[in-house]
Amino acid sequence: MSEARVDGKPASLEAAAERAAEILSQARLPVISGLGTDVAGARASILLAGKLRGAYDHMRSAEIFADLDVMRQSGLMYTTATQARLRADVFLLVGRDLLHVWPEMMERLAPADIPSLSLAREPRKLLWIAPPRGFKTQGLAAETLDAPDLHTALAALRACTAGRPVACSKEMRRKLDSFAEVIKKARFGAAVWSPSSLDALSIEMLHGLIRDLNQTTRFTGLPLGTGANASGAVHVSGWMTGFPVRTSFGRGYPEHDSWSFDALRMVESGEADAALWISAYDGEAPPWKRNLPLVALVSPKAVFAREPQVRIEVGCPGVDHDAAEYERESASIVARTASRPSDMPTVETVIGEIAKRLGGDA
Amino acid sequence: MLILLKGGRIIDPVNERDEVGDLWIENDRIIAAPDGKQPDDVHDVSGKIVMAGAIDIHSHIAGGNVNTARLLLPEKHQNRLPYPPALPFSTAKWSTFETGTIYAMMGFTTVIEPAIVPHQSLQAHFELADIPIIDKGMLTVLGNDDFLLSLLRDGEGPAAVADYVASALAASNGLGVKCINAGGATAFKYNERSFSLDDVVPFYGLTSRQIVEALQRAVIDLKIPHPLHLHANNLGIPGNVSTALATIEAARGEPLHLAHLQFYSYGSEGDRGFSSAAAELAAAVNKAPNVTVDVGQVMFRQTVTISADVLRQFNGAAMASPRKSVIHDGDGNGGGIVPYFYRDTDFANTVQWACGLELFLLIDNPWQVFFTTDHPNGAPFTTYPEIFALIMSKDTRAEALSRLPQEAIAMTTLPSIAREYSLGEVAVMTRAAPAKLLGLKDRGHLGEGAVADIAVYTPGDDIAKMFRFAHLVFKDGDLVVRDGRVRHYRWGKALKVSPGYDKAIDRRLAGYYDSHFGSSRDMFAVKEHLLPRAESFQEVACA
Repeated sequence: MSEARVDGKPASLEAAAERAAEILSQARLPVISGLGTDVAGARASILLAGKLRGAYDHMRSAEIFADLDVMRQSGLMYTTATQARLRADVFLLVGRDLLHVWPEMMERLAPADIPSLSLAREPRKLLWIAPPRGFKTQGLAAETLDAPDLHTALAALRACTAGRPVACSKEMRRKLDSFAEVIKKARFGAAVWSPSSLDALSIEMLHGLIRDLNQTTRFTGLPLGTGANASGAVHVSGWMTGFPVRTSFGRGYPEHDSWSFDALRMVESGEADAALWISAYDGEAPPWKRNLPLVALVSPKAVFAREPQVRIEVGCPGVDHDAAEYERESASIVARTASRPSDMPTVETVIGEIAKRLGGDA
Repeated sequence: MLILLKGGRIIDPVNERDEVGDLWIENDRIIAAPDGKQPDDVHDVSGKIVMAGAIDIHSHIAGGNVNTARLLLPEKHQNRLPYPPALPFSTAKWSTFETGTIYAMMGFTTVIEPAIVPHQSLQAHFELADIPIIDKGMLTVLGNDDFLLSLLRDGEGPAAVADYVASALAASNGLGVKCINAGGATAFKYNERSFSLDDVVPFYGLTSRQIVEALQRAVIDLKIPHPLHLHANNLGIPGNVSTALATIEAARGEPLHLAHLQFYSYGSEGDRGFSSAAAELAAAVNKAPNVTVDVGQVMFRQTVTISADVLRQFNGAAMASPRKSVIHDGDGNGGGIVPYFYRDTDFANTVQWACGLELFLLIDNPWQVFFTTDHPNGAPFTTYPEIFALIMSKDTRAEALSRLPQEAIAMTTLPSIAREYSLGEVAVMTRAAPAKLLGLKDRGHLGEGAVADIAVYTPGDDIAKMFRFAHLVFKDGDLVVRDGRVRHYRWGKALKVSPGYDKAIDRRLAGYYDSHFGSSRDMFAVKEHLLPRAESFQEVACA
């Protein structure tokens, strides 16, 4: 059963929604943040931001924009995990944290299997730049390259692949050359990365390598993205406003700026004077230290250093209720059937309760 | 609610009406003049043109590729105009809300998104649900999917293919079947860099022609009203008219719709090896009554090309302006997003512009040629009013021609064409014929019992202005536009077909997803209860 609290005291959902509407409508510039919710919850949040003439952001924006900034500055080639599993004869894995970001990666990409749609019917090759400590090849045709500086390693690999000189040890050069040989001979290679260990410059370098390889063969990217339905929220924001998250309705129309409308910056600088924090998946608490009027729609697991003015517990998408959310494997929005249906309210429902108490077209 | 539109010029080709008269609406339907009843509302439309709401059969308004294009080009759609409180997000450029608003202002009441791969269909329906006012629908893209190609390779026969097609339509809630460079996107995954009608898809040993024929057969067997909607091979390449002509032949007299034919109407004559072959192609269309086409008119401005023809988009990425593009090797077709600027100083762009107009004007039968820009690939749909002016007025064309590179115009027949579309022909091309092509018996005309989707225009010398700002637009009998401005939102339906099939194919598909994707096929099905509004769909009957 859902719990709601106002100023730390148990309250009905209606009373909590009433207080939330008061806090948000009295704010000069409210920010809707976290946005850890399903498609319906993100959609309701953005409509609410429009009504409030506030801004909205996602808790995983740093990772979202590492990938998105590269795409919108220089472009992207990418595939789905499923296509990689069925076709890729070479995996180029980059970064220490891939298994942490995607624990099922080895099971889903099945590097030990012969790719079922490949012409050659040969075992796959697996290259890992900066593998996790203690990674064992376990009988796979795998090679690893330790790289304390990923950007330099990727730049050197790109240069070697293009036959250009690289300043490095002979041993390093031999390693890079062997990596370059494998990726150049790939028929359909896939580079796998996560934006939690690659910054935008490294992602752009990796993508430059992918583009170079496509002059003669096929190679593509498999960005693992990030969690809390971040890509789902970006897509919803895209069709509703034309822009990704970090968008504001302050001027009466959507305006996107990934610096100005960073929720953390807005709160810490005092520009935002109230916040709605949404974390329906894992109940993560907001990252800011400053005290400001806070409405939280969170999983019952959520723990706050300071009790929010309004706390409303919501169900987990795909667990407590059916939901649509972005799925990494198919790079698309999919339907999830509730695994343990409950009567916990959805983010969409609670926001609906708040929105209808704003009155008029507030 | 009884409404009378009094004294307008009613242009309704289906009911052979072009006369000054009255039109009655009761609730959401058009009715015969009722005996002795007083209307609740009377609109004096004397001097105005009254037509059914327009229907766009091919406009990329939703789905993962369109949305990626939005995210790729934030600098190209900065906003300046606040929206009125009653019309949330209606001024947000390129948003779903703006799309429905602008279409309605122009008198369009039904728009079809023509390219959604099955795995993107849930997102596409979310996007369609957020397009206000108009009804919409989407075509389901097949023809580069491993399951279909495997069925064909294994010689499973037309019944299995039809069951699969019907099952894919049921899961995606599609209105028809689209095929985009049949086999070409798959061939590109095997590093093929060009792909034509009789080229063979590696791994499967099938030609593009075989895939097209199989899908065309399935659509006919399933009695789906809309014929196979085909994006042929070799889009955008000099000399590709031969591919278009061969594809018309490949239809073998059976129904086939060829999308954005302008992009296939190129010869390779002249010093630059690029010329219009639109006249030759139009002549072939005139001789093939089984074939319908839409134009894909080019207009001079910045746009972005969005296509599931990933091979073509990869090859075109070098021409990107601004210089960035997205190439997605997706499940099935995938897609490519390549921004592009059509320039009125550019030789090739001028030939393309002229080719589109030649097709409009040289295809004799307005029931056979459809009004599109392949939005946004040839131009955004917001250019429609200017295109109406170009096809309805030879003076407007002459004026436009005089400002373009003459060496490019010399490679076309456009200056020699005197034809001007009449309002009746426009009503056929944008209302009556699209309804027939899609099997929508309840619209595209103003007869008794039709849905009261009605556009009223103010005629004048400025044809573009007439079509940009409709005087009145009714959607389901609700007055949504007055004097070119949307008054309020309402929410239309998504149109879909549900042909019957042997459900055994669903069990096979479940097993296939389990073994190939390691996941459940069920999560790709469009579940109505997840969408924002109840009763999101309207079924269109299969014959």
